[in-house]
Amino acid sequence: MNGSADTQILDFACGLFLLAAVGALWRRELSAVIGLLAVQGAALAVIAAALGADEHHPELYAVAAGVGLLRAGVLPGLARRALAASGEDRESQPLVNVASSLLAAAALVLLAYAVAQPLARLDASPGARALPVGLASVLIGLFMLVARRKALSQVAGFLLLDNGITAVAFLAAAGVPLLVEIGVSFDLLLVVLVLRVLTVRMQSAFGATDLDDLRELHD
Amino acid sequence: MNVIGSALAVAAGCAGAAIPAAVVSPSWLRAKAAGTLTAAVGVCGIVSGAAALSGRTFTARLPDVLPLAGVYLGVDALSGLFIAIAGAVIAIVALYGIGYAQNGHDPGRASSAALPVFAAALLLVPAAASVSTFLFFWELMAVSSLLLILAEHKKRDSVREAGLWYAVMTQLGFVLILLALAWPAATAHGETFTAIRAAAPAMSPLMRGAVFVLALAGFGSKSGIVPLHAWLPRAHPEAPSPVSALMSAVMVNLGSYGVIRVGMDLLSGGSRWWWLTAMAAGAVSAVYGILQASVTGDLKQLLAYSTTENMGLVLLGIGTAGLFRTSHQSVLAGIALAAALLHVVTHSAFKALLFCSAGSVLRATGVRDLDALGGLRAAMPVTTAVFAIGALGAAALPGGAGFVSEWLLLQSLIHGLAMPGIVVSVVLPIAVAAVALSAGLAVAAFVKALGTGFLARPRSDGAARAAESPAAMTWTMAVLAAACTVLAVAPGLLGSALARAVGAVSPGGAAVSDAVGRRLAVLGSTLSPLVVVAGTVGGAMVVAAVLRLAAGPRRRAVPLWDCGAGPPSARMQYTATSFAEPLQRVFDDVLAPESDVDVTPAVESEYLVQTVSYHRAVPDRIEHRLYAPVIAAARWAGQAARALANGSVHRYLGYAFSSLVVLLVALAAIK
Repeated sequence: MNGSADTQILDFACGLFLLAAVGALWRRELSAVIGLLAVQGAALAVIAAALGADEHHPELYAVAAGVGLLRAGVLPGLARRALAASGEDRESQPLVNVASSLLAAAALVLLAYAVAQPLARLDASPGARALPVGLASVLIGLFMLVARRKALSQVAGFLLLDNGITAVAFLAAAGVPLLVEIGVSFDLLLVVLVLRVLTVRMQSAFGATDLDDLRELHD
Repeated sequence: MNVIGSALAVAAGCAGAAIPAAVVSPSWLRAKAAGTLTAAVGVCGIVSGAAALSGRTFTARLPDVLPLAGVYLGVDALSGLFIAIAGAVIAIVALYGIGYAQNGHDPGRASSAALPVFAAALLLVPAAASVSTFLFFWELMAVSSLLLILAEHKKRDSVREAGLWYAVMTQLGFVLILLALAWPAATAHGETFTAIRAAAPAMSPLMRGAVFVLALAGFGSKSGIVPLHAWLPRAHPEAPSPVSALMSAVMVNLGSYGVIRVGMDLLSGGSRWWWLTAMAAGAVSAVYGILQASVTGDLKQLLAYSTTENMGLVLLGIGTAGLFRTSHQSVLAGIALAAALLHVVTHSAFKALLFCSAGSVLRATGVRDLDALGGLRAAMPVTTAVFAIGALGAAALPGGAGFVSEWLLLQSLIHGLAMPGIVVSVVLPIAVAAVALSAGLAVAAFVKALGTGFLARPRSDGAARAAESPAAMTWTMAVLAAACTVLAVAPGLLGSALARAVGAVSPGGAAVSDAVGRRLAVLGSTLSPLVVVAGTVGGAMVVAAVLRLAAGPRRRAVPLWDCGAGPPSARMQYTATSFAEPLQRVFDDVLAPESDVDVTPAVESEYLVQTVSYHRAVPDRIEHRLYAPVIAAARWAGQAARALANGSVHRYLGYAFSSLVVLLVALAAIK
């Protein structure tokens, strides 16, 4: 492969990555959101592979395979099982409606590009240029945590956030050391498992998974 | 590594060994093991301090001990003086603590383990030579002392309150000290004291002044300087007595050390207003502290307020030295600083003795209230005798340890009057008056403590049952009493040490060794403590002999005429409250005491009284005016902030998200 094809693949994957994040905010059907998460995970794996090809790091291919397996396969699969257990498929009453959410997402992407300018200027490589995409995903994920009620939306928001962090790590520094990557992935898996258990428990306790039902534990 | 460094290393090693020893040993061995090792820490302190005072210095850099910055140690004669004082008091009080812990007064595992840490921190704070090292040891000292204060928290609720006050005040003080040290370190681009010292002359006067004020407030709160003294009369009485002795005789000194180190050494002098501020704070503390001491009815609280007084006098001396230094009067500056340092030494000696003997009383009677004590002279002769020696020192009377240092301070103030300048001619006489007033009130306070606490007849069952403390306590107190007497009779022994300590940070060190010799001689005024003491004691003996001879025939015991009201009882004696009443009346406007008289008339007639109850309290007025509004505001803010946390997860996430976005927007806008 020549350099320009790598760059094109990288740009394409980054675009897909951002689009999946915005799409997750747009769709109300939780199954569709989970599908978009899988797409984003796959895009992340492609980003890692393209960077591996671009910068001649063969071990990045292995990392890409692992990331793809976890974020496009295992985590969406777990989320889907939780969805089947909870039995509700719509984020019926989000705290911020979809149209406003999309406007907010646009503002957050602009903010991410504005903030990441000094970082992107440090290095002229295509990876560094695409860095704001990861930051945008982090912000969109945080926004989703704030704006959505259902426990599974929270899982989705959290995964968006973490995908964003990982993408920034790849784009800025061609990935963190393998050991750290494994540790982070393991944590992520645990978080999703815990949230899945929480979803099921909430379903059996309240008949719904609206997080605002959990208000007892305050000062 | 010379003898100073080796001794400090051994001290740290002993403290390190004492922690597991205190934790694992059984209760009968615990106090002995921890106390012996703590005493070893103290002995190491004496060795290294004495070596530093004999003219050696020590510097070391240990890059691997603390992460990031490493540990820098530097001991000069000034550090050595404070290390030596700390070591001597620690060694004796640790042995006293072994006796104190006998017969069911075991302080417990946590306290036994915290004691050696506290002791080692007290030695290492003056030895620190970089900002991070200093702050680390300072915080170690604060945390371990907090643990020690809380030792008896299961017995009395007031201990918890005292611990809370101490924790809050010491942390606030820490923040101020952190600012005062980190700011010049940032400007100097180096955090060692050497770097700050080199960069200080180039700093702007405004910044140097602000740093000094921050340091004065931070270190002042540790010394119990008014108005930051609020923790001291709470924490010192509630701590177990060996701990009170260590805190009051050693820990508070480090506040004075900090002011000298930052003001005179790191910032090398400074402007006149700095030192006038310090003098004002010192004079107010001295008078207010001893005034509160003379009206309080709690034996240990009286001693705690007396600590505020003495630290005020030390600060007054330091301020005077700084003032003279700004006027280039190096001889007077040296003598004033020597007076302050000598007062630190003598105060440590008599305050350790007084707290130890108060602990002996408390342990024997279970009573701290002077109104319920009395009649201890026969039952506890050693404790009474050593308390009297300590009280003589605290009252600054000839023959007492405090007399010498206060005389030197007064001499330096009086000779300073020759200096030109209108401020000096106004301030110095006021300072002289403040020292004289505090000395006079101290006599009243300690006559009250000794007279009503120890003499006459017991006023409560606890006092009546008192028995002398175990030998381990009495002989350590006797050692402290001997130290007080030596300081009172022969302060000249410290002359060369004081000269070196003064010379380390201030001009005029050479003048000190001439002034503090066998005779004290300040620019023409001379005093020989030995002759004064001999004269006083001899005169008292002559008077006693004459009275004895003139008394005529032997006394006969006859029944006292009691106006038909029954024989006199112990309740009819002078109490601490009644002794202090005239003083309280004189200082009514300052103290604003609260007294309530409740008269309940009989049902038939309002002229026939059934019961009368009298209640009197002297609340700390500064605390009331200054702290109550602050505490109320903090409480209000806390209550108002509860509305922010309503339990909604989304709201909490929203806070985090919005603050992140605001920060990022700010970042983007700045770039």
